[in-house]
Amino acid sequence: MIRTTGTIAAPWLEVWRARELLRSLATRNLKVKYQRSALGFLWTLLNPLLTLSVLSAVFTHVVKIKVPDYWAFLLSGYFVWNYLLQMLSTATYVLAEHAGLRRSVAFPSEVLVLSAAASRLVEFVVELALVLAVLLLLHHQALPASFALLPLLVALQILLSLGLVMPLAILSVFYNDVQHAMPVVLMVLFYASPVFYPARLVPEGVRRLYFLNPIAGLLTLYHEVLYEGRFPPAALLAGVTAASALLFFTGYAIFNRYKTVLAEIV
Amino acid sequence: MPAVPAVLCRGVVKRFYRYEHRTRSLRELFVRAFLRRPIHVRHAEFSLAGFDLRVEPGEAVALIGSNGSGKSTALRLIAGIYVPTEGIIETRGRLTAVIELGAGLQPELTGLENVSLYAAVLGLTRRELAARLPEILEFADLGDFIREPVKYYSSGMQARLAFSVALCVRPDVLLLDEVLAVGDQDFRHRCLERLREHLRRGGALVVVSHDVETVRELCARAVWLERGRVRMEGPAREVIAAYEAEGPGR
Repeated sequence: MIRTTGTIAAPWLEVWRARELLRSLATRNLKVKYQRSALGFLWTLLNPLLTLSVLSAVFTHVVKIKVPDYWAFLLSGYFVWNYLLQMLSTATYVLAEHAGLRRSVAFPSEVLVLSAAASRLVEFVVELALVLAVLLLLHHQALPASFALLPLLVALQILLSLGLVMPLAILSVFYNDVQHAMPVVLMVLFYASPVFYPARLVPEGVRRLYFLNPIAGLLTLYHEVLYEGRFPPAALLAGVTAASALLFFTGYAIFNRYKTVLAEIV
Repeated sequence: MPAVPAVLCRGVVKRFYRYEHRTRSLRELFVRAFLRRPIHVRHAEFSLAGFDLRVEPGEAVALIGSNGSGKSTALRLIAGIYVPTEGIIETRGRLTAVIELGAGLQPELTGLENVSLYAAVLGLTRRELAARLPEILEFADLGDFIREPVKYYSSGMQARLAFSVALCVRPDVLLLDEVLAVGDQDFRHRCLERLREHLRRGGALVVVSHDVETVRELCARAVWLERGRVRMEGPAREVIAAYEAEGPGR
């Protein structure tokens, strides 16, 4: 095999060759997080559960929101929001965390982002299974056919989050500002996305503008499928799919454009 | 002489750009971009200015030179970590670079867990690792410590762990950067033995080292780099003699 360092091999092929590294790094993330922690996964659940309880109490008893079974509505979107939130914060440190590795071994840097996404996804899938069980038992009492769309929604969620995380990760290597700006951005996104209120409450006039935020579309899809238990409008599904794919390919292209200089920046 | 070399560098130039940023924040960046003012000034600095190297299978070559002469840059270019500004670099077969010993180690994980992670970093598949694990553990010779988190290891023990994995990868091209100075006498001796075996098997070796003794023991050929250019190339003894004749006080 002759490897010419000057040429850029197809990035997909590079990632495929580094799949063993990807798997090992994802395992490492989970091991480091859960070892010597007696409550382990409970901590991962506790934080969102407490937030959910507070939101649920406030919007059921204080600000009376017109959503029946409000807790079920919250539950159907909150873990997705939580996943996106954690991925966006990961973006600000994942490349810096492995600076030593990047300077001493040649491997496609996106493996670092992908392994962070993979280990987080493992946790999300467990959370989703629990959410499904609770919703089935206490909200639907029957299995809605719309649940069949879940794999597609998870796939869109992965594309969307990677599309946002990859360019952000690159940007945060060049500018520390990303790290400082992230809490504010996440706070704004929290209110600008249908996390604790349904998108249908957004005034008709600004709804077009509102759905420019791709997270709003994704969360609404989850609400339709999990909470309402019905198939979402085809236009919404197509829109979110197009937006996620576009974001992913643009984000990955930006990442690939700049990743060769990453090793030179510490 | 085989027709195809293990490592071939032709006219390799690596220019680093030192960016003198006019901006330190995104706000400034946007303002400047909007006003079409320059965002940064680029200063080119040559780290390598025309570097040629040919290493045959089974051959060991040492890169020597003072700090900042471009040795480590050359090694990182061959390893594929840096992309050359100009020139061609070709390597044949599996390549393993040990450039910063312990850079791939995770302090929170145990020695054993680190072995499998580091093996993946160096490109071993799970099956290959399973087959070579006994060999790796025997070579590292860390005893029960292998089950302790690496953060409790001494630097020598960390080096032994990382080096054991790297040597058991059995690469066609092995690149070592100043990593032979670690470990005790016994381990150093076993490492040298293993490196000779690597050469006998037809593996190529490129070493960056200040340790003249090791270079003399291991390498037949040496390349002396100075300010990014090849100052002298030839039999290791002659090159080292010339390099040492310049005196340590330079």
